[in-house]
Amino acid sequence: MRYFEFGILGFGTGAVIAAIALGLVVAYRASGVINFGHGAIAAYCAYSYNSLRTDGEIPIPPLPNPVAPIEGLFNVEIFNLPTFISVGDSVATIPALVIALLIAAVLGLIAHYAVFRLLRYAPVLAKVVASVGIMILLQGAIVIRYGSRAKQADRILPDDTVDWFGATLPIDRYLLLGLVILLTVGLWALFRYTAFGVATRAAAENERFATLLGVNADSQAVVSWVLASVLAGLVGVLASPIIGLTPNQLTLFIIPALGAALLGRMSSFVVAAAAGVGIGVIQSVLFLLEQNASWVPDLNIPQALPFIVIALAMILRGETLPSRGAITAGRLPEAYVPKLTRARVSAYSVLIAVSVLIVMFAPFRFRSGMNNTMVGVMLGLSLVVVTGYVGQISLMQMAVAGLGAYAVASFGTDAGLPFVVALVLAVLAATAIGAIVSLPALRTRGASLAVITLASGLAIQEFLFKHEGWFGSADTRNTDAPSLFGFEMGPNSSFPIGDGKIPSPGFGLLLIVITVLCAISVMRLRRSRLGQQMLAVRANERAAAAAGISVAGVKMSAFAISSALAGMAGAFTAFKLGQFTADSFGIFVSLSVLAFAYLGGISTVGGAVMAGTLFAEGIGIVVTEEWFNLNVQEYTAYVAGFFLILTAVYNNEGIDGFQRTQFYNLVRKIRGDRSPTPAATAEEVTA
Amino acid sequence: MSTATLQTKGLTVRFGGLLAVNDVDLDCRPGELTGLIGPNGAGKTTLIDAVTGFLPKNASGSVNFDGEEALGTAPSRLAHRGLCRTWQTLELFDDIDVRSNLEVASSRLTPMKALRDYFRGSDVDERIATTLELLNLSHVADRSPSELSQGQRKLVGVGRALVADAKLLLLDEPAAGLDRQETVWLGLQLRRIVEAGTPILMVDHDMGLVLSVSDRIHVLQFGKLIASGTPEEIRNNEQVIAAYLGASGGDE
Ligand SMILES: Nc1ncnc2c1ncn2[C@@H]1O[C@H](COP(=O)(O)OP(=O)(O)O)[C@@H](O)[C@H]1O
Ligand SMILES: [Mg+2]
Repeated sequence: MRYFEFGILGFGTGAVIAAIALGLVVAYRASGVINFGHGAIAAYCAYSYNSLRTDGEIPIPPLPNPVAPIEGLFNVEIFNLPTFISVGDSVATIPALVIALLIAAVLGLIAHYAVFRLLRYAPVLAKVVASVGIMILLQGAIVIRYGSRAKQADRILPDDTVDWFGATLPIDRYLLLGLVILLTVGLWALFRYTAFGVATRAAAENERFATLLGVNADSQAVVSWVLASVLAGLVGVLASPIIGLTPNQLTLFIIPALGAALLGRMSSFVVAAAAGVGIGVIQSVLFLLEQNASWVPDLNIPQALPFIVIALAMILRGETLPSRGAITAGRLPEAYVPKLTRARVSAYSVLIAVSVLIVMFAPFRFRSGMNNTMVGVMLGLSLVVVTGYVGQISLMQMAVAGLGAYAVASFGTDAGLPFVVALVLAVLAATAIGAIVSLPALRTRGASLAVITLASGLAIQEFLFKHEGWFGSADTRNTDAPSLFGFEMGPNSSFPIGDGKIPSPGFGLLLIVITVLCAISVMRLRRSRLGQQMLAVRANERAAAAAGISVAGVKMSAFAISSALAGMAGAFTAFKLGQFTADSFGIFVSLSVLAFAYLGGISTVGGAVMAGTLFAEGIGIVVTEEWFNLNVQEYTAYVAGFFLILTAVYNNEGIDGFQRTQFYNLVRKIRGDRSPTPAATAEEVTA
Repeated sequence: MSTATLQTKGLTVRFGGLLAVNDVDLDCRPGELTGLIGPNGAGKTTLIDAVTGFLPKNASGSVNFDGEEALGTAPSRLAHRGLCRTWQTLELFDDIDVRSNLEVASSRLTPMKALRDYFRGSDVDERIATTLELLNLSHVADRSPSELSQGQRKLVGVGRALVADAKLLLLDEPAAGLDRQETVWLGLQLRRIVEAGTPILMVDHDMGLVLSVSDRIHVLQFGKLIASGTPEEIRNNEQVIAAYLGASGGDE
C-alpha cells in the first residue's frame, strides 16, 4: 500500500518530466532540434512566477554592463543596469501565472529567432552546442539572480488531500496527472487533425517539397517553439511547490525528459508523456524500496534511472531518429594542421615562459589561476580530440575526469603506489572507462550521442561518486602530493626558489610540463594517420567506411584518447585540491567545459589554450578580476552560455579561429596582397 | 565465368515495396572496363551500394567478389579486400587536403600501425604521388577538395579509390559535370588504369564515353538487367534502343 502511495506521489515529478518531454517532441517535430535547454525554460518560468508573487518583480536576465571595467578601474559607480521590472508589491496568482507564461512564450520566440532559425542548415554539432548554451545561460541567470539554495515555492494547486483508492494523498498529484493527460491528448489532436499539424508533418518529411506546396515551415516552427516553452513553463510553475525550487533540479529534469522523448522516438506524444509519468512513478517507488526492502541494494538506483531509460531507448529504438528531409550546408569548424613555424615556436615559447614566471613569482591568486588554466587546457584538449577532430559531442568530460581523480586518490594515497605509477594507472582507468562508456555511442551520433553522454555523466556522478562506500566515502578522499625521486611537488610542498608561498612553484611547473606534453601529443595526433582518419570520419562516415576506415575503431580511439586527457586533468585537479570531491566533477561543470572549449575553438590546440585561460578561476578570469576589480567569477557560467550560443551561431571556430582569420587578413593587408584567396590557414602565411 | 572479379547472382534490393534492383546477374572480368547504363532511377547506384555493403538490410541474392561472398560484409572490410568505389554525390573529406584524402584510404590502419605512425611519423607513400600525377592533381594536392572544380573533385574520388590497392573500381558517374575535353581525357586515364591491371565497373550517363571505352556493357531498366554485351551489340540492341537510347536520347 505504501508503494501505491509513493507511486501516486511520483505523479508530481512525472508530470514535469512528461511536460518537458512533450515540449521536446513538439520542438523536434517542428524544427528538428533537440533542445537541451528545455528544462531550464521550465525553471526560469517557475522562478519568474515566484518572483512576481513574492516581490512583484519580473526578472531581467543579467545584462553585461559595458562600463563595468571603467567603473572597476577607477572604483566609481557610473550606472547600474536594472535586474528586474517592478510591477507593485505582490502580484495575484492569475496575472502572475499569465506573465510567467508570457515570459515562456518570449523565451520560445528568442530560442527560435535568435538561435535555431539561424542554425537551420547548420551541422548538428552547432545545434546541440547552442541548445546547451541556452541551458547554461538560463540556469546561470537563475543562480545569479536567486542563488542556488532551494526556495519556498508559491502554490497554485490546492493543498488538500483526497481519499481515493483507499489512500489519503494530496490532490495536486492527481491534478497534475490530469493536466498532462489533457495536454497530451490536445497535442495529439492538434498534430493529427488540424491544418497546422498536417503542415508540420509535411515539412518534417521534406522541407523543400512542403515549401513548394505553400507550407511555411518557419511559421510552423515559431508556433511550435512558443507552444513547447509554454507547456514546460506551465508545468514548471505548477509543480515547483512539490518538487522544490532550485536552479539545478528543474533544469536537470531535461535528462529523464530526453529519455521519455526518445522512447517516443521524438515523435509520439502519447509514448513520451506516458514514459515521463512512468519515470516519475518508478523513481518514487524505487526510492521507498531502497529505504525499506533489504533485498534491494542501496545503489542510488532512482538517480540512475534516467540513464537506464535512455540506454534502453537507444537499444530498443536503435540509433535512428526520424531525420528531417532538410539540407545541411554549414561547415564544421576547420581543424588546422599545426605547423611549427618559427613564428609559432617563438610565440609558444613566450607563452610558456610567462606561465613559468607566473607560477614561480606571481601572487597567490595568479599562481593558482595558472594552475587552474593548465587543468582547463587539458580538459579543452580532451574535447578537441573527440569533438573537434571526430565531431562527436561529449557532455561527460568531468565525470571521466572525476574517475581519474578518484583513481589517483585510491592508487596513490590509499594503496600507497608511487606518484608516476598511480598517475599512469589513473589515466589508464579513465581511458578504459571512457572507452566502455563510448560503446553505446558508437551506434549513435549527433544529438542522440550528446544525450547519451549527458546521461552517462549524470549516472557516473550519482551512481559512483555519490554512492556511500564505493567511490563516495562521504564524497571526499585525500590525495597525497605528487613526488618524483623523493622530491615533493604538491601545491603545498616547499620549493627551493622563490618566496616559499603557496601554491608551490613545484606543482605549477609540473603542471606546465604535463600540459605542454599533452598539447604536443594532440598536435601530433592531428598530423598522424589516425588524426587524418578522425577528420575523415567527421567529414563523412559513409565515405570513410568505403575508404576502408573502421569508423567504430576511430571513434573509440578518440573517446579513449579524450578520456585519457580528461583523466589526467582530473588527477591533477585532485592533487590541486589535495582531495577528491564529487562536487568538482558535476554535470554542470561538464557542460561549462564544453562551453569554454567551444568558445575557445573546439578543433585546434590553440582553442584549448584559450579555453583554459577562460576556464573557471583560470588566469584570464583572475587577471580580469584583479586588474579591473570586477566580480566575474559569479558570472562565468552565465557569460559562457551566452558566448557559447554566439559562437555556435556566428563563428563556430571560436576565438582561436577568429584570431587566425584576423591575423591572416592583417598580414595580407600589410603585404598589400589583394588577390582573392580561398580560406587559407594562418600557418601558411607565417610559413 | 568463375574467373570474373565480380559476379552477382539474383541480386535483389527492396525498399519497402519498391524493387530497386530485381534479380540481376552481371559480372566484371579481369582486364576489362565494364559499363553499366540505364535511365535515371534504373537502380545503378543502388546496385553499387548493395555490392559495396551499404544496404545490408535491403539486399538479397549473392555477390561473389574475388572468390568470396561479399553480401553481409561491412563496407570497410570490402574496401580492405580491394572493392573500392566512388560516389555520384562525391562524398569527399572536405576537412583535409587532397593528398590526405588519398592518404587515409591508402592503407589499413591497425592499432600497431597507428602507434608506429604516431611516434615515428607517416611513411611517404610513392603510390600517392604517382596517383596524383596520373590524375593531374599534383598541383592541388595541398588544397581542400572544396576549393576545386567539379571535375577535379570527381578525380579526387577516383584517386581515393585507386590508392586503396583496388582489385575492382566501381565508379558512379565519374564524368558527370566534366566538359567534353575533360571527359575524353578521363576516358583515356580510365583505359590506362584498366591496362595497368585494375578492372573497372563504370556507371555513366555519357553514352559517348561508355560506348567508346567499355569492353562490355550491362543495361538496367526498372531494376532489371535487359541486355549485356559489347558496345557494338548494345548499340544495335532493339530493346536497349527502345528503352533507353530512343526514349531519352541517352543523355541527361
Ligand atoms: N534509400 C532509398 N529508399 C527508398 N528508395 C530508394 C532509396 N535509394 C534509391 N531508391 C529508389 O530506387 C530506385 C533506383 O535509384 P538509383 O539506384 O539511385 O537509380 P540510378 O542510380 O540508376 O539513377 C529509384 O526509384 C529510387 O527512388
Ligand atoms: Mg545514380
